[in-house]
Amino acid sequence: MGTQIKDVVIKPDAPNTLLLEKHADYIAAYGSKKDDYEYTLSEYLRMSGIYWGLTVMDLMSQLHRMNRDEIIDFIKASQHECGGISASVGHDPHLLYTLSAVQGRLDAVDVDKAVQFVLSCMNFDGGFGCRPGSESHAGQIYCCTGFLSITGQLQQVNADLLGWWLCERQLPSGGLNGRPEKVRHPHTLTDFITSLPTFIYTVGIESLGTPGEIDTRFSFCAVATLALLGRLDAVDVDKAVQFVLSCMNFDGGFGCRPGSESHAGQIYCCTGFLSITGQLQQVNADLLGWWLCERQLPSGGLNGRPEKLPDVCYSWWVLAALKIISRIHWIDKAKLRTFILACQDEETGGFADRPGDMVDPFHTLFGVAGLSLLGDEQIKAVNPVFCMPEEVLQRIGLHTDLLT
Amino acid sequence: MHGRVKVKSTAQQEEEKRKEREKKLKVYLTVRDAIFKKRSNSELDEEALQLTQQLLASNPDFATLWNYRREILLQLETVKEEEEMQKLYETELLFIESCLKVNPKSYGSWYHRGWVASRLLRPDWQRELGLCDRCLSLDDRNFHCWDYRRLVVKVSGVSVEQELQFTDRLIGSNFSNYSSWHYRSTLLPLLHPQPASDPASACQKHTHTHTPPTVSPQMHGHRVCEEQLLKEYELVQNAVFTDPNDQSAWFYYRWLLGRAEREELISCVYVSREGERVAVAFSKPVNVVSLMLVLDGQPQQVEWRSVHPRLRHSPVWLCELPPGSISDINNEHNLTVHWPEKHTHRDCALYTGRMESWCRESATDQELFRSELSVEKTSVLQSELQSCTQLLELEPQNKWCLLTIILLMRALDPLGHEKETLTHFQMLKEVDPMRSSYYSDLCSKFMIENTILKMEYAEVRVFSLSDKNLSTLCHLDQLLLVTHINLCSNQLVKLPLQFAMLHCLEVLEADDNAIENLDGLYNLPKLEEVSLKNNQISKISDLSPLATCPKLTRLDLRGNPVTKTADIQAELAELLPSLTDLLL
Ligand SMILES: [Zn+2]
Repeated sequence: MGTQIKDVVIKPDAPNTLLLEKHADYIAAYGSKKDDYEYTLSEYLRMSGIYWGLTVMDLMSQLHRMNRDEIIDFIKASQHECGGISASVGHDPHLLYTLSAVQGRLDAVDVDKAVQFVLSCMNFDGGFGCRPGSESHAGQIYCCTGFLSITGQLQQVNADLLGWWLCERQLPSGGLNGRPEKVRHPHTLTDFITSLPTFIYTVGIESLGTPGEIDTRFSFCAVATLALLGRLDAVDVDKAVQFVLSCMNFDGGFGCRPGSESHAGQIYCCTGFLSITGQLQQVNADLLGWWLCERQLPSGGLNGRPEKLPDVCYSWWVLAALKIISRIHWIDKAKLRTFILACQDEETGGFADRPGDMVDPFHTLFGVAGLSLLGDEQIKAVNPVFCMPEEVLQRIGLHTDLLT
Repeated sequence: MHGRVKVKSTAQQEEEKRKEREKKLKVYLTVRDAIFKKRSNSELDEEALQLTQQLLASNPDFATLWNYRREILLQLETVKEEEEMQKLYETELLFIESCLKVNPKSYGSWYHRGWVASRLLRPDWQRELGLCDRCLSLDDRNFHCWDYRRLVVKVSGVSVEQELQFTDRLIGSNFSNYSSWHYRSTLLPLLHPQPASDPASACQKHTHTHTPPTVSPQMHGHRVCEEQLLKEYELVQNAVFTDPNDQSAWFYYRWLLGRAEREELISCVYVSREGERVAVAFSKPVNVVSLMLVLDGQPQQVEWRSVHPRLRHSPVWLCELPPGSISDINNEHNLTVHWPEKHTHRDCALYTGRMESWCRESATDQELFRSELSVEKTSVLQSELQSCTQLLELEPQNKWCLLTIILLMRALDPLGHEKETLTHFQMLKEVDPMRSSYYSDLCSKFMIENTILKMEYAEVRVFSLSDKNLSTLCHLDQLLLVTHINLCSNQLVKLPLQFAMLHCLEVLEADDNAIENLDGLYNLPKLEEVSLKNNQISKISDLSPLATCPKLTRLDLRGNPVTKTADIQAELAELLPSLTDLLL
C-alpha cells in the first residue's frame, strides 16, 4: 500500500512557449462580456480583477493595450446607480475601489475630476463607516494602492483619508459581539498611525476568542499598504509582528490565525509581512524552505499544502516566499516553468490553475509573475513581496528586504 | 476560479447554455437590484432575508450580502421576542449548512456561522462539533472547517486532552492526514510541556482549556516532555511503516527530532587591544543597539554596529572603545557586556602582556547541534535508527526515510556517522533530483557543523573545509575567533554578508570555487591574505568590499575572468592601495 501522489500529467502537446500576445489579448478583452452570468457572479471581486489585469499587463509591457473605454464604461455604469461613483454597485466599501479604478486607468484630467468627486463624496458618505471588518477589504485597499503605484498615481491618494478608512476597517467590528459600536474616527494621520498597532493587536487577540474574519492576510495587506504610502516608519508594529509570529507552526509555515494549519498563501503573506517590518530573521528559513520546496510535484507544479493538487497560483505564493527567504534555488525551476507554460490556453490566451482548466485573470497574473521570478526575460522583473513590477517600487523609492 | 475543466461543446450546446445563462442572469440581476434598493432604503426586514438567501445560496462569497443579513438580524433582535429570535437563528444555521454543502470553502459562510452560533440564546456547541465532524468526514483537509472547529472548541471549553484524543482517532483511521498531525503539534506542548529547567525530568500533565497560547508554541521552545516524545515516536513509526510515502508523518517526525530553540544569550565576548575593539556574539541574530559595556567598573559610551550595514539583525555586534582605554599592554582590564532586555551579561578579562582575549560560552556539541534527548534515552533513538534502517531495506528509494536516517544519525553521533551521512545524501540527490540543491545546502550545513565540532575539540583557530562539496556557508557566527580559513575546492558562489563575522580572520583561502560575490569580505581588520584562484570574479567592482580591509597585502586572483580587464593593475592599485603582492 502507499499514497498515490496527487498530481497532473502534462500532455506532450501542451504549450511550451510563452504566448504573451495571447495573454495580452485575453486580459484586454476580459470583462467585455458584461452580460455574462459568470462575470456577474464574480462582481464581488471586480476591483481585484482590475488590479490583476493591470499588473499582469504592466509585467508584460502591455499596459497601453488596456481598454481604456472599457474601464470608463465600467465606472460610468457604477455612477448611474447611486448618484456618485461606486465600484460594483451596492457592494460594501466601494469608494476606494472606485478611487483606485479611476486613478488607475484614466489620464490626468479625468483622474483629477474623479478624485475631486470621490473625495467630496467621502465627506458625506456615511455608508463606508459601519461595515463589519473583513479581510478582503484590506486586500482590496492593497490592490488599490498597488495599482495606483503601477500607474504612477499614488500621490493622488489622500493618505489621511486612506488611513482613516483603513483604521476603521481594522477596528474590531461590533458585529462580533452584536453591539455595532460606533468607532472613533481619527481624522488626522497622526491619530491613525498611533492607533494602528494597538488596533492590529486588538484584532490579533480578538481572533483568538471570537469568530474573527481577520487573519494574517490582513496583517500583510495593512503593512503593505502603509509601506506603499510611505508611512510605515512612523508605526511601531511590534504587536502586529507578535500576532503574525503566533501563527507560526511546527513545519515552519504560517496559517490564518494561531493554531491554523500552514498554507502557502498565508506563508507568502507572513514572509511578506516580516520582510516589510524588517523581521525576517524570525523565520526558521531552513525548515520553512524545506516545506516549501516539498510543494513541488513530479509534474513540476507546486501545491499549496501537502497532498494537494498543483496550481499555477502557488507558483506565485510558494515561489515568492522562497525568494523572500532566499531559497528559490531549492526547487527545480525548469520543471516549474514547464508546468506553468502548460497551463496556458492556446486558443483564448490566459492561464488556468491546471492544464486543461478554464483560464482567469487571477491565474494569468500569478502565472506570469511566477515566470518572472523564474527569470523569464520577456517579462519585467516582479517584486516578490508586493507582486508589482520592481520598476514601480523603484519609482516610489520602496526598498524590499529579503533574507540575507 | 479553481478546478473548472474546460470542455469542448458544439455550437448548439453553446447556444443552449447561453440561453440558460441569460435566463439565470436576468433572475440574478433582478434579485440583486431589489436587495440593493432595499438596503439603500435601510429596509431591515424578513423579505430582505429571503432575497439575500436566494443569491447567497449560489454565490456565498458575496460578502456584502452576509453583512446585510447581520444588520437585519440585529435589527430584528430589537423587535422580536427572544424565543422567536432563537427560532430565526436556528433557521439561519440550517440555511448556512445548505450553503456549506454547495461551497464548503467559503470564508463568508463560515464566518457567518460563527457569528450566528454565538448569537443564539442557547448555543448548541455539540451540534456545531457534529457539523464539523460531518464536514471533515467529507474533506478532512478543509482548513475553514478545522479553524471553525478550533473556535467551537475554545468557546465551548473542550479540553486539550479530548482534542488530542480526537486527533488519535483521525490519525488512527487515516495516517495520511496532515491537518491532524498539525493539530497534534499544537496540542502536545500544551498538554505535556517540557519543564523549562530540566529537560529530562518527569512529565507534568497540564490540562489547559481556556488559556490559548498568545505566542505560538513553535516560538518559545515548542518542546514536549521526553516521556511523551517517546510515545510519539512510536505513533510515527506505525504511520511510516504503514505508508512510507506519506509525507505527513515524516514532517511530524522531523519536528519531533528537532531541537529546542537556544535561549537568547551572549555566547562570546572578544576584545582586542589593537584598534581597541570589542566583538560580541549572540546565540541568534539580534538587533542590540542598546547593549551596555562596562570597562573596569566604568560604563562606556560606545556605538554598537552590526558586522555589516545591510544586516539589521546579526549574531555578532562590534564597537570601538574610547581611544587609549585598553591600548597599554601593561594594564589588565575587566570588561562586562550587559544585555538589559534579556537581563544577561558576560565578563571578559584582558590580562597584561596579552593583545587579545575572549570569553565564550562552553557549548558542547549536544547543545550546539544535536538532539535534545537526554543521554539515557539515546537507546531509544538508536532503536528508531534501527527501524528506519529496516524500512530503508524494504524501500531503498524512499527519500523520507533516507532523510530521517540522516537526522537520527546526527542526533546520535554526528561525527561518527559522517561517512554514512554523505552516502545517504548522495542517494537522496539521485532519488529526488528536483530537490538536489536543498540536499546540497543541508549537507553543507552538516559538514560545517562537524568541522566546528572538530575545531572545538582541538581548540584551534584554524578552520579547514576544503573539498567538501559545500554549496553554501552557514554558522559563520561560530567562527568569530577563527584566524585561518580554507574553503578551497567547493561549489561556493558567494561569500555572504555574514562572512563579515569572521572578525579575527587573517588568511582566507577559497581557490577553485565559483565565487562571484565577495560582499562578506567587509571590514575585516586583520585580513592580510586572500587567495581566490579559479573563481568567477568578473568585474573590478566585485572586489570593492576588499577596500574595507585595511591590512590586506596579498591577493591571488589567478584564473578569474576579472584578470582579463584592461588596466587591472592600475585600477587595483587605486582600489586596494595596501596590496604588496598581487597575483593575476
Ligand atoms: Zn489557484
